[in-house]
Amino acid sequence: MSKKIIRKISPMAQQAVDHYIEQSLLLNAAFTNDKVIAGRQRAQAIFAQQAFPVSRDEDWKYTKLTGFVQNRFESLSQHSVKLDDLHAFLPPYAVTKVVFVDGWFSEELSDDLSGLPKGVSFESTRDVFEVPGATDQLFRHEDIINKTPFGILNSLLMADGYYLQISANTVLETPIFVLYVQSQANQMATVRNHVVLEENAEMTLVEQFVSLSADESFKGCTNVVTEMDIAKSARMKQILVQQQNHSSYYFNNQFIFQADQSTFNTFYTGLGSLISRHQNHLFMDGEHIENRQNSACLGRGQQTMDSRTNTQHNQVWGKSQQLHKYVLDDSAVGVFNGMIRVDRLAQKTDGQMDNKNLLLSTKAKVDCKPQLEIYADDVKCSHGSATGQINQDQIFYLQARGIRRSKAIEMITQSF
Amino acid sequence: MLLKVENLQAQIDEKQILKGLNLEVKAGEVHAIMGPNGAGKSTLASVLAGRDDYEVTAGTVDFDGEDLLELAPDERARKGLFLAFQYPVEIPGVSNKLFMQTALNGVRAEQGLPPLDMFDFDEYAKDKIELLNMRDDLLERSVNVGFSGGEKKRNDIFQMALLAPKLCILDETDSGLDIDALGLVANGINTLRSPDRSFIVVTHYQRLLNYIKPDYVHVLYDGQIVKSGGFELVHELEEFGYDGIIQKHEQAQ
Repeated sequence: MSKKIIRKISPMAQQAVDHYIEQSLLLNAAFTNDKVIAGRQRAQAIFAQQAFPVSRDEDWKYTKLTGFVQNRFESLSQHSVKLDDLHAFLPPYAVTKVVFVDGWFSEELSDDLSGLPKGVSFESTRDVFEVPGATDQLFRHEDIINKTPFGILNSLLMADGYYLQISANTVLETPIFVLYVQSQANQMATVRNHVVLEENAEMTLVEQFVSLSADESFKGCTNVVTEMDIAKSARMKQILVQQQNHSSYYFNNQFIFQADQSTFNTFYTGLGSLISRHQNHLFMDGEHIENRQNSACLGRGQQTMDSRTNTQHNQVWGKSQQLHKYVLDDSAVGVFNGMIRVDRLAQKTDGQMDNKNLLLSTKAKVDCKPQLEIYADDVKCSHGSATGQINQDQIFYLQARGIRRSKAIEMITQSF
Repeated sequence: MLLKVENLQAQIDEKQILKGLNLEVKAGEVHAIMGPNGAGKSTLASVLAGRDDYEVTAGTVDFDGEDLLELAPDERARKGLFLAFQYPVEIPGVSNKLFMQTALNGVRAEQGLPPLDMFDFDEYAKDKIELLNMRDDLLERSVNVGFSGGEKKRNDIFQMALLAPKLCILDETDSGLDIDALGLVANGINTLRSPDRSFIVVTHYQRLLNYIKPDYVHVLYDGQIVKSGGFELVHELEEFGYDGIIQKHEQAQ
């Protein structure tokens, strides 16, 4: 394996690169599917050259990985999680539960998925790997995925995930609830998901990321890539809650491909992790597409919360709406980067992006970069960003009515 | 004695505003504090309510047997001091209902009373809304958002009615009100007058006082009370303006 690095990186980062390539080789030794092995090998070649981004890279200027590269997370693991450990994380409404532990699908912790309604199929990515010929679809968007650093890392260490398909005209009433559990320290959970909604299908997906320990020494990393193909007139609703412990790392790249008249709604809530970065890459490849991408991040301590979107309007009459909010306390850092690109074919585009931030301390900060790139002439696009300190007059007004200062701050923050 | 202010001195940004102010308010009394712009009227109201922009440099304030200056603004409010704001603050996203229910239950906890749940609170608030002739949707709306100047002031009076304080300080509540709104606000205040509730009405103009008819009138000038009297002092001011009284005060010194 040649390890020629084009760019200059620190010895520490070089060791990390070597470590993850070694992990990838270990995985390849444990898997049999040639295509999967070849996919990891392609990623090894790219990763060996590109390594991890550094703060000189514009896209990583505010989300610093210097601490991250000091870790040597491992991919292969065995866990001993019991269903009882998970009760606190289960939603109070009816769902079909799917559990991943340290990145690996757990059949015994998940609901019986053979009982899913007709027209809904769920397979673990690992099982898909075992089916020769079924893996081509996993590499369909490989070029796009491997343009992002953690997409490359995902391709490098790709091990499990899910493949979910909803047949044409099927409406899945009960949400699929995917729980990603970090059960042991020092694990790299690499998850590769693929969701296919066929024509006029509909579903709700709820994804939650948790750690079983809040201990500071309990560090883990979750790195997800999810591809979604949303066919004509299909409707997808997604809610993500990221509440890993405050020592861990979270990276999620979602690649969404929408066809004519489809809708996609996603809401990301960022609460946990030392460094988290959630990104939607949204391709509006048909007419009359609608989507909403919202996020809310609450950061404190030393957390970095990075949420970004790249929305590509490629056809006429597309409508995209976005609202991204950050509330940051202590020394937390918020990073927002949103791009709306309107192709010259995408006339009548309606694209709106808003970013609002509330800083609760003088040390908290947010770096925001809303961007528009418009090549069509008949469009309606707007972006805005506003950052404010908590208003002292509002606090005093509530206090003057007998409400304690801490409660007043809580009320004002909640209203935001 | 409900409130006893002695030799109160306060400054903001190193600038001395109150220069030894004395004031005594007994239960049930209505005091008006008048004075020209810059005399320190709003400073007095703010210092009594506990706004921390102001630094008290000397003096004492006794409120119902307690050292008021030692208390945080919310403690003062829970113990029965109420400030009606010159500019009531807008708080988008916080409903009047949540705001007032939280506030009222804070005051009730202080008095050893159990909190009111949503339904009891609704009932309690409904009476006050009718009493003050307010809009029915008042509780559902965000605090002061989209309210006219008059509505904001009336919302403050409504809050006063809910919290039933011992001492109400009205900081230029009449500023920016047209004659109808002024009448409504004054009516609200008169409705809340009682033998165990005192008022300090801070104002620049006499027109609110014509409605309220205070028991005592004080003229504040240059950080001190330079003249006190009964309601007749309002008429004297109407006739001679602040200048006459100030000149006499300065000659006397």
